Amino acid sequence: MIVPVQLHWNPFNQLDPGPCIKVIIANTDETIEAGRAIGFEYPAPHEITALLDTGSPFTIVNRVHALNRMLTQTGAGTEIRTLGGKAKCGEHSGTISFPGTGLKRIETLRILSRDFEEERHYSCLIGRDVLRYWNISFDGRSKLVTITD
Amino acid sequence: MALTAEFETELKVFEQYRKEWSGTHLGEYVVIQDGVVLEGFFQEYADAFKAGLRRFGVRRPFLVKQVWITEPVYFVA
Repeated sequence: MIVPVQLHWNPFNQLDPGPCIKVIIANTDETIEAGRAIGFEYPAPHEITALLDTGSPFTIVNRVHALNRMLTQTGAGTEIRTLGGKAKCGEHSGTISFPGTGLKRIETLRILSRDFEEERHYSCLIGRDVLRYWNISFDGRSKLVTITD
Repeated sequence: MALTAEFETELKVFEQYRKEWSGTHLGEYVVIQDGVVLEGFFQEYADAFKAGLRRFGVRRPFLVKQVWITEPVYFVA
């Protein structure tokens, strides 16, 4: 049985950061397996808070988190433009999972990294590259975001 | 593996071939490490990464690059 995920979001409260979900971002299983075979060690999974962001084409994680989790880098200098100006991002491969929910893990995803300087409530943006796998609806009366995949 | 990489050599190689690849593989992914270009292009990032991992392993980073005529600037709202 599919159990939908429900997130509280009050868009009428200007201080509400938006719909957030807990995620774990780590290296792909294949990467960890290959690394361990030659003696590399990888940090334990660490849960962070992510904002569902329909305005972002990619999933973007705090650069510090990408470094701490030793995410495999596969690119550099990718340019994004935000209201705050332009920013250069790193690119990494990684897997993303949603602990405490029934949402399926995405095994291999291109993940951008940048500095999160002003964002106090979250350290990751879940972009349309992940949202494309989900059915999402918002009920303004109950202020609930419902997700199924 | 280095925690940060600039991919200077790989990006130079990419620039050498960008025009040629843009004509035949626009929007696809290519994998490069140093001066070595992995054979083939990939429709999906995940497939390109897995191929790169099998070929180059994890000791040193490899570039996975989407082929565009010019570098896009992505808008994040």
